[in-house]
Amino acid sequence: MSYELPKTLVTTVVGSYPYFPEALKALQLRKRGERGREYEELVRRAIARAVEDYLSAGVDVVSDGEQRREDMAVFFAEELRGFRLSGLVRIFDNVYYRRPVIADRVEWDHEIIVEDFRYAARLSKGRPVKVTLTGPYTMYTWSLDRYYGDMRKAMLDLAEALSREIKALVEAGARYIQVDEPALSTRPRKEDVILAGEALGIMVGKLSNVKRIMHVCYGKLERLFPEVLDFPIDQLDLEMKNSNYALLELLKEYSFDKELGLGVIDVHSERVESVDEIMEGIGLGLEILPPEKIYVKPDCGLKRLSRETALAKLRNMVEAARRAREELA
Amino acid sequence: MRLYAGICGSFPRPPELRRAINEFREGKIDRVEFEERYKASFKRVVRLQEDNGLNLLTSGLLLWDDLLRPFAENLGGIRLGRLLRFFDNNFYYRCPVIVDQIRWTRPITLDEVRGLSEAASRAVKAVVPGPYTFLKLSEDRFYGSKDKLADDVVQALRQEIESLSDLADFIQLDEPSLVDPELGEDDRRWGVELVNALLEAVGVSRDKLLIATYFNLDSRSYSILLEVRAGLHLDLSSTKNADHILMEEGYSGDLLSLGVIDSRSIFPEDPGDIAGRVEKLLEKVSAKALAISTSSWLDYIPFEDAVEKLKTLGEVLRRLEAGSR
Repeated sequence: MSYELPKTLVTTVVGSYPYFPEALKALQLRKRGERGREYEELVRRAIARAVEDYLSAGVDVVSDGEQRREDMAVFFAEELRGFRLSGLVRIFDNVYYRRPVIADRVEWDHEIIVEDFRYAARLSKGRPVKVTLTGPYTMYTWSLDRYYGDMRKAMLDLAEALSREIKALVEAGARYIQVDEPALSTRPRKEDVILAGEALGIMVGKLSNVKRIMHVCYGKLERLFPEVLDFPIDQLDLEMKNSNYALLELLKEYSFDKELGLGVIDVHSERVESVDEIMEGIGLGLEILPPEKIYVKPDCGLKRLSRETALAKLRNMVEAARRAREELA
Repeated sequence: MRLYAGICGSFPRPPELRRAINEFREGKIDRVEFEERYKASFKRVVRLQEDNGLNLLTSGLLLWDDLLRPFAENLGGIRLGRLLRFFDNNFYYRCPVIVDQIRWTRPITLDEVRGLSEAASRAVKAVVPGPYTFLKLSEDRFYGSKDKLADDVVQALRQEIESLSDLADFIQLDEPSLVDPELGEDDRRWGVELVNALLEAVGVSRDKLLIATYFNLDSRSYSILLEVRAGLHLDLSSTKNADHILMEEGYSGDLLSLGVIDSRSIFPEDPGDIAGRVEKLLEKVSAKALAISTSSWLDYIPFEDAVEKLKTLGEVLRRLEAGSR
């Protein structure tokens, strides 16, 4: 079944969707190390429900809702060779989590999200399914390194390992590959941004006929510029709504001409943005880029919202994009 | 030169304290039981420092939710705001929101420091946030004037520091914002002036006061830091050329604390290498008292890895002492 994407203002998601009860149960099983048939069946049911919601909202490019992943770094750390989990580390107050520990050389030895992609693609009624992978910079900075003692070496191995997964995804038919690097906006050093670009080159630099996307959010996104302009990506997916579209000015200054994933939905607020409000955000994006270069999407993953809110926000987002297209026509 | 070894600030909460805090907050245990369990954890952390040969002890700041929290909760005029990222760490603090005049009404950390001085058989160090970092990480909704707000923060911290002066051998004022790489030169100078204003005002001998900077050290910030009229703690682990900067610029003063143990990494560290680094640094720097320390607080690694840091720190001290004999 084929689906014709709109020529302009394509709607999409960043990746995660609120967990369905099936996913929560699957995550509990996973924690206990029980990854048998029941676990896989629960994950599939959760993915199916996420895709169903995307379709009902009318999103053009969907995802698997990341229903299998509790934490974006821990998930890949559990799947790649070379990692183990640390003891508990504080994140705030008395809230602790386990950080991935790089305890040996990082390597890819099995497909990680390929089957989830295939399954989501079977259900998406021809709509493209975007796959999302946590990038080497975020994986490294959110982990504790006990093996390399050298960020560059570790990141290049991480990039190599993730490139194997990307290759498998592309072979399975994935055409929208998104590398998530939320940690990149939290660090001040230019050399880190350059290194992240080099790692991206290893992962997606040689891909053709594939939409290569990098997602970054929160923190100081301006730190990525101007280096990010030379990254081997087709689309930069950014949080915009939360920071009141302040970054658009910077994009204009740099004559940004890649595609832009324009965040028009605040994922930290249960308030559902009105269609008019979202159209206003799209309008701001259109002041600096032509509509065919703008992908309309939430600021970040939706997993922290209630399902009802997430769905309502997506519906309004899709409607806003539709009306904006009408106005342009 | 007197040689010390001690951690920079906090130690990770032992698992049993994490549980006790949760149970107390959920109303499952009363205050009396909570206090008992806290004291047991506190003693464990003090003993861990002593058993590993450290001779400058902290309380581990085990009840501090973040650098500013005890002060945000106990100074008048402040309420707690949203969670914000603490510098470039995957760690968040609650932003103090200033809604009225800041007032110090009673000692905030006195009981904790008294407990430490009673439990410890060696020199002890108290920790308070420095005035500049306090201002930088807070949100002002009352003063509207940086100078007026700064005056009241200085007065509040002055009273807190003076309340601790009889109990602590050293008092550390944490000022990570002073070395924030994104800080402009004018702001950095203003920050140092603010710290010096507090040092002028406080009735405590300067040779027991230490300004702790961490998460960065670069040559521009270091040259301004040298204008601080108290001892310095420097993070020598966050930037590759920090040792070089210190060697180039030198140091001479009463008190210098070298953050040579990386508090944000669990990569194995060799005590021999670290002792060698310190010996090399000592060719260019001099202080009446020198401390070797962790680069910053130890909140960023698990408890068991922090214990490893204590072992390394103790071993470095032994090697340096053996070398100087």
